[in-house]
Amino acid sequence: MVVTFPHLGNTYIACKIMFDSLGIDYVIPPLSNKEALRIGAFHSPDEICLPFKIMIGNYIQSIEKGADTVIIVGSCGPCRLGEYCELQMSVLKNLGYQVKFIVVDYPGEIGIKELASRIGYISNQSHKKKIEKLRALYRAVKAIRLMDYIEQSARMIAGYEINRGECKRLLLQCRDRVFNESDPSKALKILKSYKAKLSKIPIDKKRKPLKIAIVGEIYTNIESFANHFIEDTLMDYGIATYKSLSPSWWLKYTGLKVLKLHAVRARLAAKQYLKYEVGAYAKETVGEAVLAYERGYDGIIHLLPVGCMPEIVSKSILTSIAKEKDIPIMTLLFDEMTGEAGYLTRIEAFIDLLERRRRDHVLSWR
Amino acid sequence: MIVGLPKGLLFHQYEKFITEFLKVLQIDYIISKDTNKDILNLGVKYCVDEACLPIKIFHGHVASIKDRCDLVIVPRIVSVHEKEFICPKFNGLPEMILHNIPNMPAITTKPLYLYSEKKTLAWLEDFGSMLNKNKNQVREAYIRGKEIYDRQKLGYNDKRYRRRVLLVGHPYNIDDIYMNMNIKKKLNDLGVGVMTHHYVRDKDKQKEVDKLYKRPFWTFARHTYGSCVYLGRTQQVDGIIYLSSFNCGIDSIFIQLIKNELKDFPLLVVKIDEHTGEAGLNTRLEAYTDMLERKKKNGSNFPASREHLYSM
Repeated sequence: MVVTFPHLGNTYIACKIMFDSLGIDYVIPPLSNKEALRIGAFHSPDEICLPFKIMIGNYIQSIEKGADTVIIVGSCGPCRLGEYCELQMSVLKNLGYQVKFIVVDYPGEIGIKELASRIGYISNQSHKKKIEKLRALYRAVKAIRLMDYIEQSARMIAGYEINRGECKRLLLQCRDRVFNESDPSKALKILKSYKAKLSKIPIDKKRKPLKIAIVGEIYTNIESFANHFIEDTLMDYGIATYKSLSPSWWLKYTGLKVLKLHAVRARLAAKQYLKYEVGAYAKETVGEAVLAYERGYDGIIHLLPVGCMPEIVSKSILTSIAKEKDIPIMTLLFDEMTGEAGYLTRIEAFIDLLERRRRDHVLSWR
Repeated sequence: MIVGLPKGLLFHQYEKFITEFLKVLQIDYIISKDTNKDILNLGVKYCVDEACLPIKIFHGHVASIKDRCDLVIVPRIVSVHEKEFICPKFNGLPEMILHNIPNMPAITTKPLYLYSEKKTLAWLEDFGSMLNKNKNQVREAYIRGKEIYDRQKLGYNDKRYRRRVLLVGHPYNIDDIYMNMNIKKKLNDLGVGVMTHHYVRDKDKQKEVDKLYKRPFWTFARHTYGSCVYLGRTQQVDGIIYLSSFNCGIDSIFIQLIKNELKDFPLLVVKIDEHTGEAGLNTRLEAYTDMLERKKKNGSNFPASREHLYSM
């Protein structure tokens, strides 16, 4: 069995560490790229959302490298993610690929037994002892938390750094080095060393950079390719960005959901605008936007793929928040079009607007 | 107090019930007009651009009556069947209305779970308290309304036509004759009878749905998929017409699954959006019926594709 999985931000680093420790064969698809998107868009239905298309591209690129088992997560609606596995199986089957899907689904739907047997199927491929399997899991969780921490702080510090571009260089270097390390414990050490390096970057605390919060649909938030590397672009402009969504956030969220203690702060903040669940993370999007206002961010960028059903609801609400709280919110929609200029122009215009607002003390941004 | 009823989304399904309910409670109500160009324009004006047509039209209906009533019913219908949903946009409908349309009167915001009598009653009691009616009055009105609701027969099953097609899609696409340009009449004029999923037994639908890897969690998708695959497989209809609104997330998945299952079976997908020109639809329907005729003439082993156009 050769395992593969779709890309989602930094998860490939954690998965690599886990499968290395377990001794399971795996193929990491080439980082999401235009070719993957082209393949995916070609074989997927027209109106499906962007994540689906990139994922199909990921699968096909790894199947060509020898993968035969796909691991994905599922959900039980009302968002489309829950039906991904069904359609992806049929798309790949129609293309003549013989692959097995392991869908890690919500236990309330498929039953704990079925979930255990699905996970057991993966873990039985490894000949390590049980304690080592647990250690592998622990390492993976630790790695993803470290990596997300490094990424999150690098993006924030980028606004304060004295030597322009240092944070970005460090972040890219860190990803690169961890990815090329096949010994899990050494990989963790690398991550720790970069965490230490990050805190030593010379910063100018007196500077007051523009601060932008990024909210929205989880895939376009986490997978940088899907959002045209918007955070890297903002880093280049010397803007401090904050984004709460990350793979480790998702892990924590899913774990705490059992106790109904998931994303408490965001959900409380969302309450005055949206009381009930809409599906996916629309409520958290609204909550994060309110929190960003309370924390004094200059602006908010809202990302979603075209046709995302829950985020259309949150988009309606965000317009009200922008009006009532007087905070600029820009919505960017992404589809399989890869032209950069339109996005760049809009981002630059948005930054100009924020700067002007700050310089001239303009109260209204409309 | 005047209650406003927007004639959008699932209104046609529950019209009999809610009007009887309000009549028994002796509440005045107004219903928005049948969808027309003005309502569509209002909807497009107020709603977020990315939403689908039915949601925009619902916005239009609400906007057209909001100044003439004190309370608008904006149902947050989370599900009509246990463990199933309709669509995420339904879950956030009151918020979309409140934040998109300015100067709204009071609206209903509580979630509505129609599969359980208890939960439906709880919603109605809450709604009744907005109208100053007590629980007993609400209960009586509910029973009267439900009687009438249960007696109604939804859907079409035309006979006496040469050909018969299954018309599927979300109920609001099929019920709103402005939105779908009265596709049923167009088909009837072409000599094609229309049938809807209501006339397929649940047992038969379920059998097809159970073959899927994962239980679908959207009620209408389940009906659509089950009836399409069942009727297509058993060849009980000549063709299937799938009415889908542009950018519908649910249809984007299920159209593909149905296509994969039915292969050569004549399936016409009609996308509806804000365009109001009818010529394109007329041409497609005519071509489709021509194709059905040709298929009948040449025998069923001819695939319904273009290659056989010149072979007859």
